[in-house]
Amino acid sequence: MSDLAIRWFAPLELRILSGMSFLSCALLSVVLLFDYFRGDYDSMAIHGVGMMALMVMILTGIDFTEEGRTRRRDMGLTASGITLACGVIGLAIRGAEYLLVDLWAGLVLLIPGLSGLYLLSTPLVSRWVESTIERAEAEDGLVRNRQLLPKWQAALKHVVLLHVVAVVMIPVLWIIDVAISPGDALQGGAMFSSPTGEHFSNILGGDNFWVWARNSVIVSIGTTLLGLCLAIPAGYAFSRYRFKGRGAMMFTFLLVQMFPGIIILVPYFMVMKSLGLLNTAIGLILAYSVTALPLCVWMLKGFFDTVPKELEEAALLDGCSQFGVFYRIILPLSLPAVAVTGLFSFLVAWNEFLLALTFNTSDDMFTLPVGLASYISATDSAWGDFAAMSLLVAIPVVLLFIVFQKFLIEGLTAGSVKG
Amino acid sequence: MSGVNFVDVSKTYEDGTEAVRGLELEVVSGEFLVLVGPSGCGKTTTLRMLAGLEEVSEGEIRIGGAKVNDLPPKARDIGMVFQSYALYPHKSVEQNLTFGMEMMKGEEALSSNEIESRVKEISNLLGIADLLEKRPRELSGGQRQRVALGRALIRRPKVLLMDEPLSNLDAKLRNQMRIELRRLHEEHGTTTVYVTHDQIEAMTLADRIAIMNDGELQQHATPDECYNNPANDFVKDFLCRHIDEIVTTANHIVSKR
Repeated sequence: MSDLAIRWFAPLELRILSGMSFLSCALLSVVLLFDYFRGDYDSMAIHGVGMMALMVMILTGIDFTEEGRTRRRDMGLTASGITLACGVIGLAIRGAEYLLVDLWAGLVLLIPGLSGLYLLSTPLVSRWVESTIERAEAEDGLVRNRQLLPKWQAALKHVVLLHVVAVVMIPVLWIIDVAISPGDALQGGAMFSSPTGEHFSNILGGDNFWVWARNSVIVSIGTTLLGLCLAIPAGYAFSRYRFKGRGAMMFTFLLVQMFPGIIILVPYFMVMKSLGLLNTAIGLILAYSVTALPLCVWMLKGFFDTVPKELEEAALLDGCSQFGVFYRIILPLSLPAVAVTGLFSFLVAWNEFLLALTFNTSDDMFTLPVGLASYISATDSAWGDFAAMSLLVAIPVVLLFIVFQKFLIEGLTAGSVKG
Repeated sequence: MSGVNFVDVSKTYEDGTEAVRGLELEVVSGEFLVLVGPSGCGKTTTLRMLAGLEEVSEGEIRIGGAKVNDLPPKARDIGMVFQSYALYPHKSVEQNLTFGMEMMKGEEALSSNEIESRVKEISNLLGIADLLEKRPRELSGGQRQRVALGRALIRRPKVLLMDEPLSNLDAKLRNQMRIELRRLHEEHGTTTVYVTHDQIEAMTLADRIAIMNDGELQQHATPDECYNNPANDFVKDFLCRHIDEIVTTANHIVSKR
């Protein structure tokens, strides 16, 4: 047994270094793209060399035979050194005019470089490389590996996730900065340097915003209610009943989704005009419900499919009417899916721009997206106010998602496990 | 009284498959009948036709002498235990038990006192009294099965239907539940129709068994009668030979000790 421990033990440091290098390599490919687009070929070369050194470092985590260990360790050390050097040089080249991106690129090289130099020089690794490890140490090492590996994996995952979040959040932070900075500049100046509420008070103080907000709320809630009233029974019917044309209808639902909204714009306008529904909330509600309906029906049908038929049969035997089964058994079980569908309908209605722009000709029937667009003109645009209003428009939906997130997660994973 | 009669019952699906052919079967009131046969023999379809969950293509089904073909399930006064238990996941055990009783309206409506006393009676009988607040997902398989049984029995149905209720349990629990089911039947005397593919369950639980194969009734008699005087080759093979093999294997295991 002892030989097994010695044979199969490899210090965790190697796996960590390997994982770190792999992640850095992936991130560096993005850096290289940046360099290319900036036309900064010097940096690109440096980063390229660093990337190749990192690729060598990835190999340190591979279990290898006893003979190759020293060579590999030395290669790893050299590669670490090169990586470190590239990071430093890369930063030095930019000199005083570095951007945040350069700092980040530097770190992507510096951290693995430094870690490599440190991790590959620990006593444990040295002893392992020279195969002078003893049984007790190997066994302890294995235990330590098992305990620490999940934590390191979690740390690496978090690094990846942080990057993803950053990609999403940077534009949002930018907008926030524009919204709370004085004046109407879209860029330039330090971030969050002199916060002011003037844009927000401009928007909230004016009448327009509140009128538009009221319209948006009415239209969105109306769409959600009407959409759910139609989609829930439809989804249930498609799920439970077999009738002529069922397949064709479901296919048609899919088919109409493929058409971009703009091609139905003109006919839609004519229909609304002849019905006298231009400039009304009802017109928009009808139009939005119909647009969101196919996807809602599909989602709900898919969910209803996962509710076992035997539950309904048991309820029938217990004395429920057909409607009672739907109302008392199916519906309570479908709340997550209904929440997702409702939220989706709300979102579609809240953010919709094209139809709202076309159907509403008078200013006081605008919804928020349309009102927002009116802030952009060919000449001078009030970017500060625009940014402030954008944030205000986004807030209700964010709040809804936060409040309902438990439902949403359940609804989105519904069907995977049935109790 | 609540006997069950199948009079020349057939079930044919839209695509032409005949699940049940010309079934003539009588279940005496208070009897424990086991419908047994290999997979696909039509026993579950027969049970579901009796429950009202499948349409009868031809023939009549009678409960207590009255034709029920066109009656909805709730009108037939039947309790059913499904193979997968089909407990309402969003309701507690107690709510699962009371749901059927709360659905009874009009002259049959039960007072809340009556409902409460029945819940107590059934939950004590089945040993689930301490589970009343829990949700089905918190229960073990055996516990769920007993709740399903309670739900079926609590409305004091005329006929109790069971669709392979023990097949999801481990062997030891299955043995226990078999004894329990038999004991319950002795106490309550409800007419019971029990579907299984397991010959042992059939032989140990039933007053009479009805062996089916390929949609047709092969033999309908007491377990002893079926074993000693098999009506045809199928019964001989499915029942007698199978049991003989089990006995031989058991003897073999014991003799080696």
